[in-house]
Amino acid sequence: MTNPSPTPLLEMRGICKQYGHVQANRNIDLAIAQGRIVGLLGENGSGKSTLMKVLFGMVRADAGTIMFRGKPLVNHRPREALAAGIGMIHQHFMLVEAMTVAENVMLGWKPAGRWLRRRTVARLLKEKSGHYGLDLDPDALVADLSFGRRQRVEIMKAILRGAKLLILDEPTSNLSPPEVTGLLAALRRLRNEGLGIIFISHKLGEVLEVCDDVVVLRAGEITGAGPAADATRASLARLMVGRELAPPAPPATSAPGAEVLQTVGLSVRDNLGVERLHQVGFNLCAGEILAIAGVDGNGQNELANVLAGVTPATSGRIVFQGADITRRSARARTAAGLAYIPVDRSSTSLVPGMTVAENLGMRDFERAPFRKGPWLDRKAFQREAATRVTAFQVRCTGPDALVQTLSGGNQQKLVIAREIGRQPKVLLAFQPTWGLDPGAAQYVLEQVLALRASGGAILFISSDLDEVLALGDRVGVMFDGRLLGPLPRGEFDRARLGFMMVGAEPGARSLPTETFQAAAGPSVP
Amino acid sequence: METLTKDPDPSLAESPAGSAPQLVDRWRQGFLLIGTAVLLAFAVAAIALGVAGKNPLVAYWSLIRGAFGSVDAVSFALNKTTPYLLAGVGVTMCFRARVINIGGEGQIAVGGIAAAWVALALPSLPAAVLIPMALMAGGIAGAFWAAIAGALKIYRNVHEVLGTLMLNFVGTLMVSEALHGSMGEPGAGFPQSPLLAENAWLPGLVPGTDVHSGLLLAVVAVVGCHLLLWHTPFGFRLRLLGSSESAAAYAGVSSARGVLEVMLLAGCLAGLAGGVEVLGVHYRLIEGFSSGFGFNAVAIALLAGLEPAAVLPAGFFFGFLESGALAMQREVGVPSSLVFVIEGLTMVFVLCAMGLQTRQRRV
Repeated sequence: MTNPSPTPLLEMRGICKQYGHVQANRNIDLAIAQGRIVGLLGENGSGKSTLMKVLFGMVRADAGTIMFRGKPLVNHRPREALAAGIGMIHQHFMLVEAMTVAENVMLGWKPAGRWLRRRTVARLLKEKSGHYGLDLDPDALVADLSFGRRQRVEIMKAILRGAKLLILDEPTSNLSPPEVTGLLAALRRLRNEGLGIIFISHKLGEVLEVCDDVVVLRAGEITGAGPAADATRASLARLMVGRELAPPAPPATSAPGAEVLQTVGLSVRDNLGVERLHQVGFNLCAGEILAIAGVDGNGQNELANVLAGVTPATSGRIVFQGADITRRSARARTAAGLAYIPVDRSSTSLVPGMTVAENLGMRDFERAPFRKGPWLDRKAFQREAATRVTAFQVRCTGPDALVQTLSGGNQQKLVIAREIGRQPKVLLAFQPTWGLDPGAAQYVLEQVLALRASGGAILFISSDLDEVLALGDRVGVMFDGRLLGPLPRGEFDRARLGFMMVGAEPGARSLPTETFQAAAGPSVP
Repeated sequence: METLTKDPDPSLAESPAGSAPQLVDRWRQGFLLIGTAVLLAFAVAAIALGVAGKNPLVAYWSLIRGAFGSVDAVSFALNKTTPYLLAGVGVTMCFRARVINIGGEGQIAVGGIAAAWVALALPSLPAAVLIPMALMAGGIAGAFWAAIAGALKIYRNVHEVLGTLMLNFVGTLMVSEALHGSMGEPGAGFPQSPLLAENAWLPGLVPGTDVHSGLLLAVVAVVGCHLLLWHTPFGFRLRLLGSSESAAAYAGVSSARGVLEVMLLAGCLAGLAGGVEVLGVHYRLIEGFSSGFGFNAVAIALLAGLEPAAVLPAGFFFGFLESGALAMQREVGVPSSLVFVIEGLTMVFVLCAMGLQTRQRRV
């Protein structure tokens, strides 16, 4: 790795960490120089989280040394790491929603003083955040802020506390394209002022765009390191996965089959009476993928849940294979051939404390083969699990393994095995590749395409434009609870969808810049 | 995907323990943990005994003899265990569905009223008809009582802890109300009902002892709940509800229906316990007969690790401990409240031990 300054900001040497009989980190050397952005790439379970936890003092390494700004960090805890000048921006923010931005910055910050000086801190915060292009209103309640703005608060917290090294864990996974651009610009400015930055990401494009150096981990070892200028998408993907990753083949356009799902004027209000879904109407045909793009929080979740029967519609109709199913239960819809992959694996699509077999049967346990008369057929659970675990290559110790012992990728394979393994007529897939590494994500997309090839209809909701562009026969965009489009293949491109994602009508080709600011976050308070 | 499978299993990287614990292992581990907790509780209570100027060994010896020392002692303890098993396994099922039912006491109380009322109203019926009728009345009354709290939760968003707790007071005071009024024994000087006709008494289970057949009913209920939880769609629904509300909704399981069903089940079992106490132990309704049962049922459910089958050992532990305590009080002059100290300490240690276990818990 290139090393322009004589003493690096951070030097980790020979880091080893073993969990059970798995070597999560094997003899890892990592050096970060001042004023460099280093991309840390790797699949889930490749050891990058473990390495960062070791650095931040959340986990103790079995062997190895850490030197930070010339001083060793030994047996440290996060508190000491913070004091030494390491700032970590977690994927899940550590903010108090009921407090203002300024108050969150002051929390636990000694230099804020013994007495609360909100005014001073607010002024400092406004000045500093403006300087880095991360404009924040110090008096806004965190609860009212979008995901992207909360991230800015976390970054400003770290900077004001004098962080010399910033670790960002998957910082762009929930941001809209304009927000990503803003974040990357701010990171460059921080780098130019001498900070070291570790940028953890799955997204090769962003890593190549913003990073000076790239380090790739696979199976606990460094498989490649060097300047980002020398790397390509293909070379990085190969280092991460250990083989070439072909992008999913754009589906051959075929004559769509019969219409299987149709919605008319579908609207949903939440408990507080706020309209989350407004007059959504579309139709979906067999053998077709209708992809829906959009910034998170614009009604995608509500759309998926109302179609699956998890939440009721306030008005409108859902017609499935000619029958009105608007009032049918989730169970009846599942039985009729409507499959659903929700985004949240930890507490919705899977029950981590149940076994693989039970999770595979959790949407069908009231029916044969899982049910025999008044009893659950335990043998059928085992049999189905054994078949599907093999068919969908889920790696686990067997049907009785608890799902919480599986990796994220294997958990999602389990969900796919249950939902696609049922050979549904319609599949609702909501961010099915969320949080997956490229290998596992590609597997999921391949399975979706295979279902399409066999005549299934797919509603594919994702905030990842690349996926939407690659898979969609038609593409719509969710904005502020409305469905814009859908446009058929040939009529959409990245730029046009980008405009639609911030609220422009499908016909528009440009947008005044200030609209970006206003529309960047989820529109609902 | 071929190359991917050659990598070391990332699933193992996330969980140091790796594979799922086998059933036998889990039970052995559970017994070990809980046994240790019980021993620790006795050890700490021994200090309290020492401070009180009693020899702990003497006291514990009289406790053991009081619990196991004679046929009468054992049958007394078994009868004490019966309502604990019934109410405890009901609470276990509720907790599995994450419905915090602490209303066992009220449900037992109204179950006792209903059973006593039927037995007093129809004294001339043959035992084979009267006893099932009275027990059924107890079960229905208990189920109704629990269902009130369930309905309040579903339709009025009243938390079940509050609902069941308040209904405890209403239920136990209704016993007093009945005994000071229409159901009281005239001129008894104590709030109790007249003695029930003999054909309403529960038949004995073992000839020559006081053990009544309610014990059989309780064991059947425990086994039935075990089968319900692990081998029926109903139990699967409860477990889904208990694990995560959003997973249950996704699986098409109605939370309202589940709450109501499990409350009916637990209330029915508690009501039966009330009926069994009236028909099998006291042969009449007396004031305060349900005192403390509801909370012991919660303790037993926790001691059993929310495993219906494990309610058997947990319930017997409580039953024998309390009957032994009475003997200890008589012989050594140790206040029987010390037993509540031991029970409390056991629960503290058991909960600590379970804290160690939660990472690997199966729902």
